[in-house]
Amino acid sequence: MTLSDPAVYLSLLVFLPALAALVMAVLPNLADESYKLISLAVTIFVFILTLGFFRSGAPISFERGAAEMQNLFNVEWIPSFGIQYFMGMDGISFPLVVLTAFLSVLAMAASWPINKHVKAYCILFLLLETGMLGVFLALDFFLFYVFWEVMLLPMYFLIGVWGGPRREYAAIKFFLYTLVGSVLMLIAILMLYFNSDLTRLNATQLADAGIINIAADGDAEQALAAWQESDSPLAKKYAEIMSEANPTERRQLNTFNILALQQMGQHTDLFEGEAFLGQSIQWWAFLLLFIGFVIKVPSVPLHTWLPDAHVEAPTPISMILAGVLLKMGGYGILRICYPICPGAGYDLAYFVCFVGVLSMVYGAFAALAQKDFKRMVAYSSVSHMGYVVLGLGVWSAVADTGYNPDYWKMGANGAMFQMIAHGISSAGMFFCVGVLYDRVHHRDLDKFGGLFAKMPVYSGIAIGIFFAGLGLPGLCGFIGEVLVVLSVWKYSYVLAIISAAVVILTAGYILWAIQRVYLGAEYKGPHPEALVPMTMRELSIGVPLLAFAIFFGVYPTAMLNYMQPTIDRQIDDLAVWTQEHDERATALNPLGPQEGTLGQLSSRN
Amino acid sequence: MDPQSTLPFLLMLAWLTPLASFVAIVFFGKYMGPHGKFAGYLATLAIVTAAVLSFTALFAVWLPNYPIKASAHHGETHDAGEVAAATGEFAEPSEPAHDLDADTHHAIDPNANNESPAYVTGNWYSLGKFGKLELTIGYYIDALTVGMFCMVTLIASCVHFYALGYMHDELHEPFVDHEVTLSNGEHLHRKGRFYRFFQYLSLFCFSMLGIVIAGNLAMVFVFWELVGICSYFLIGFYIERHSASTAANKAFIVNRVGDFGMLIGMMALWASIGTFNFGDIKNDEGVAEPGLFSQLRTEANDHHLVPTESMIAEETRMFGEVAAATGEEPTKNTAGQWLLFIAGVGIFCGCVGKSAQFPLHVWLPDAMEGPTPVSALVHSATMVAAGVYLVGRFYPVFTPEALLVIAYIGSITAIIAATIAITATDIKRVLAYSTVSQLGYMMLALGLGGWVAGMFHLITHAFFKGLLFMCSGSVIHAVHTNDMTHMGGLRKKMPITAYTMLIGCLAIIGAGIPLTQIGFSGYFSKDAIIEQAWNYADKSPQHSLFLKWLPVIGAAVTAFYMFRLWYMTFAGAPRDKHRYDHAHESPRVMTTPLIVLAVFALAIGWPIFGVYDMLDQARPLGTLATAQGQLWDVVVPNELLSHEPNLKQPAAIAAITAAGTGLLLATIIYLWRLLNPDELKQSFKLLHSALWNKWYFDELYNLIFVKPVLWLGSFAAWFDRGVIDSILHGAAAICRGLSKVVDFLFDQTVVDGTVNTFASGTWGLGLWLRRLQTGNLRQYVMFIVVGTVLLFVAITFLQSYLTPTQNL
Repeated sequence: MTLSDPAVYLSLLVFLPALAALVMAVLPNLADESYKLISLAVTIFVFILTLGFFRSGAPISFERGAAEMQNLFNVEWIPSFGIQYFMGMDGISFPLVVLTAFLSVLAMAASWPINKHVKAYCILFLLLETGMLGVFLALDFFLFYVFWEVMLLPMYFLIGVWGGPRREYAAIKFFLYTLVGSVLMLIAILMLYFNSDLTRLNATQLADAGIINIAADGDAEQALAAWQESDSPLAKKYAEIMSEANPTERRQLNTFNILALQQMGQHTDLFEGEAFLGQSIQWWAFLLLFIGFVIKVPSVPLHTWLPDAHVEAPTPISMILAGVLLKMGGYGILRICYPICPGAGYDLAYFVCFVGVLSMVYGAFAALAQKDFKRMVAYSSVSHMGYVVLGLGVWSAVADTGYNPDYWKMGANGAMFQMIAHGISSAGMFFCVGVLYDRVHHRDLDKFGGLFAKMPVYSGIAIGIFFAGLGLPGLCGFIGEVLVVLSVWKYSYVLAIISAAVVILTAGYILWAIQRVYLGAEYKGPHPEALVPMTMRELSIGVPLLAFAIFFGVYPTAMLNYMQPTIDRQIDDLAVWTQEHDERATALNPLGPQEGTLGQLSSRN
Repeated sequence: MDPQSTLPFLLMLAWLTPLASFVAIVFFGKYMGPHGKFAGYLATLAIVTAAVLSFTALFAVWLPNYPIKASAHHGETHDAGEVAAATGEFAEPSEPAHDLDADTHHAIDPNANNESPAYVTGNWYSLGKFGKLELTIGYYIDALTVGMFCMVTLIASCVHFYALGYMHDELHEPFVDHEVTLSNGEHLHRKGRFYRFFQYLSLFCFSMLGIVIAGNLAMVFVFWELVGICSYFLIGFYIERHSASTAANKAFIVNRVGDFGMLIGMMALWASIGTFNFGDIKNDEGVAEPGLFSQLRTEANDHHLVPTESMIAEETRMFGEVAAATGEEPTKNTAGQWLLFIAGVGIFCGCVGKSAQFPLHVWLPDAMEGPTPVSALVHSATMVAAGVYLVGRFYPVFTPEALLVIAYIGSITAIIAATIAITATDIKRVLAYSTVSQLGYMMLALGLGGWVAGMFHLITHAFFKGLLFMCSGSVIHAVHTNDMTHMGGLRKKMPITAYTMLIGCLAIIGAGIPLTQIGFSGYFSKDAIIEQAWNYADKSPQHSLFLKWLPVIGAAVTAFYMFRLWYMTFAGAPRDKHRYDHAHESPRVMTTPLIVLAVFALAIGWPIFGVYDMLDQARPLGTLATAQGQLWDVVVPNELLSHEPNLKQPAAIAAITAAGTGLLLATIIYLWRLLNPDELKQSFKLLHSALWNKWYFDELYNLIFVKPVLWLGSFAAWFDRGVIDSILHGAAAICRGLSKVVDFLFDQTVVDGTVNTFASGTWGLGLWLRRLQTGNLRQYVMFIVVGTVLLFVAITFLQSYLTPTQNL
């Protein structure tokens, strides 16, 4: 039980906020300010814990340049169903964990203007942080689902109690949308669970799934044998099943282990069986999961909860919502949909890309028409998150390109980069709107103007952050967008051209908003006297966001170095899978090798 | 000195110095002296340093290592802009070739290639590497880069000095903006923003130099956008003026339309070739990886433009099924050509936006909302030249078909902008349209195959247009209006401005003595363009109208509107007595740069300075030889052929005749007043209103682009609320309705009924059981015994019932 044990460290990271919330709940009543201070201290401490991973070589660290899962640990939780308390981090989750911890600090600092039921607010906020960190770290599907739901409820209350005038409507809308997504996800999880079978994996695959440990120079089979001798319930069950006489009639050993499911999806035919309407299990699982995740992203047409939720949510919650919660959708697609159901991903690649492009275009158009500042920013999120879905989906490693994975790598890395970049820029944008709203209590784009003269520092920061959203070079938004857009042509030049056109619309709505809010001679709305310069507290939120926006825009490899090895490996695996898949298809049907594969046909047009 | 290491170092310093100045002013500008005055000095110092470094790079490193030499083709007749220097020797000013016919017996081989230009290239750092794909920040330095560095930093230095004087008002506290009227009827009073202006200028210089030094297309794009945003800040410098911020938005968005095309071109190249590098850069193993240019113009193909295998594969992947369906098999010659064409035209789209070419020329005149030094620097000399520069830099990738598109766009732009300039009365807008028109000439030259002619005009134009803008600024500074109808006779009040501007006007119309080496700088560069137009039309007469005669007519129009401008401003009697009386010559800090630039405008094109030859030395490999289009019949002739006397002489005569005609017409109308402009206006009413309204481009674009986009935006917003949310609300209502029905039918009868029955049953049972509690101990014992027996029987029975198999 020391901090150098990943189980302790990661658990502390995830549950510290919840623990603090619990303590706060039982503590006698304190002054409101104290609750905020305690919560801020907790979020800062959690952030420091995540910074601990950057100490290379320390017992607990995240080694840059390594593709595999790190700080993996595995504790039996509900052995009868094979549910484990299983966590770890790799290049996909680590940046998101750091982002979550970072934005939680800033959002908590942005929570100072909250004066209603402060104790409850802080408790819910901290529970939310636990849920978010848990989602990114969980590697057991059941655990993942639990965290997913844990995050949902505090969010519901934070919008529904501390929100604006239509908060209840917005909160219920958010809740129901997400719940529908969760239900679909649950169905998919169970479909995968009941069709999974750990006994079908070989020793190396089990090691990749984090189930057995191979010593540095050890032999996989020996490790498997040693593991079967151990007294872990899973190992016992495994040994018991393997000892059954007839291999064809063995019982299945079901699992919720996400990494194991990935291995099964890519290396076995467990999920190939027909489920419904002539489509396979994995096809349906992919579709259900994808719908569940794009609700969160959110993608058109499942996005209408977002503008309402953002408009009604208080500023810090908007920051969290845009900065972290939306990323869970992209994370889910990258971590779960593609690796577990590659066949379906291959078939539906064009559909995925189309959803991405549709969101980019539609979100940008809708943003252009908004009169409410916050609503406009919300729609810009829809548009910007479309890049993420598009970048993840550009399955260009196909026969036509000689299974060249490079462009897809670029797209997926771009998508991942865009997630972080959007986390910074959109949180910043919502914060900037919040600064104004705290002062003049309105968000009508036509009733601002002239702020540059009254609040020069604030306007400078805001314009910088908005330009990051616009995708200006030198700021973080550009890198994500350009990596995604440049990768698309190799997959489909039609989608590439449409996605490139979005740069015009983005410039349109952002510049127009800047003109109406910050430029001009006079402020045209109510409470002009309230437009005072930013406070130190506000500066300490806005400046770091802008600084990171610039830093990652100028030196993107600082982030890519952490995420790229993992993503590259995943894409390489999928490229290999595609080639094998096509070869199998050719072997089965030598006359029409690639006929009937939706992804293949549509990738040409 | 070793150019491989010193050149990148010197130019990098020159490039980064303005950035350092920008950063310093961002953080400390406010505190730099009274009202941030020293920020101006800092920025000026930075750009002067950059200029010194650039000229050091030119004179101390570039020229000693790569001396200017005459072209390897000894057969050429030396044009007005060329220096005959012995091959391989150091550049020495020498006598121009006197006898124009002397060399003609050396036949020019139109298919011969030029020599490989010297260049230095490499990467500084990586933005991201994905397998074989890598985006980097790097450099590509050749004679063109060095020349552009000198030109940009020199003009920028002049502009900085000039701005120190011009922006002096911003040092006042408070600054009164007479163009902004507040709701209480007063003019706006605000703090001066002197330092902020120089902050933007510094950032602009950094961005512009970034484009010039860029070693790959991605880096060009990065700085392309940064230049765009600097332009946005500078046009919108008077943020309180609605017209200024609208013009800034327009500039940026119209540029983004061009960037959209540029992205398409970049994607096409990226997907098919997988590199953006211009030159061959050594990788970590020390092996030079071929860049775009050498991949597309391989030695095996004799440096002709031939699509790579990967391009052909990519094109087949894209169009393969379409071609198969229509039964068209791409022949060997055309394979990959379409993709190459798309890439070229796509990149050119970006240049169309940045260089304000038709049909994206609409932003530049509006950009005149910015302070005049900005117009001089950003919107005449450098930024708008970036588009032309990129076409020049990217020249090896343009197919003859793409070049034809470029030529046509250039020609149409040149004439459209020139005609609009005829009726404009805002002095800066005349110059803006003139800029558009001149950029059109450069594009035309490049499209016709006149690479050196186009780049040469880029350099000369930068000087005289910078001069013209700064002169106009000097006038505006004196009379506080842009409107030429309020000027007149000012040459007496401000002679330096007037006569330097006259030099600028003469330079832009290309004044010179035909067939000699005597003339203003524009004379050399414009003649080179017209000659190439003659050369092109000679090989392809079907394009004569657009590519030969329109440019000549444009030259006449140019002379007309430029002298109309000069006469209206400086000649005749004052039209506005009040303004005339208050007019004064500008301070020294403003007139000195005018004089410096006037000298350059006069002389930069002179052959003894060797600018033409230095550019000739940078001509991309393989672009000299006559090229044939593969997709349709296009011939891009060897530029050297344009120096043949049978083309050169009529072209030169036509050019000077056109300019003379325009000049004469302007003199007749505006100086001698033999014709009344108002009467002319009446007689050509329709034409005048078309010109006055800029051929209705703004109205047209508003109708076909802006309105539909806004409408689509509203539609999307409505669709969300009206359709998607309505469906949701409908679904919610149905759910609620259904739950009410269920509530009534099931809950209230069945569930509630069951529960109620159970409750009352329990109650009744309780009541009944109460009667058993008699307090009689014997009775209790009896109950226990009976109960136990019953329980035992029940368990035995149940057990045998539940496990029937064991009993069998």
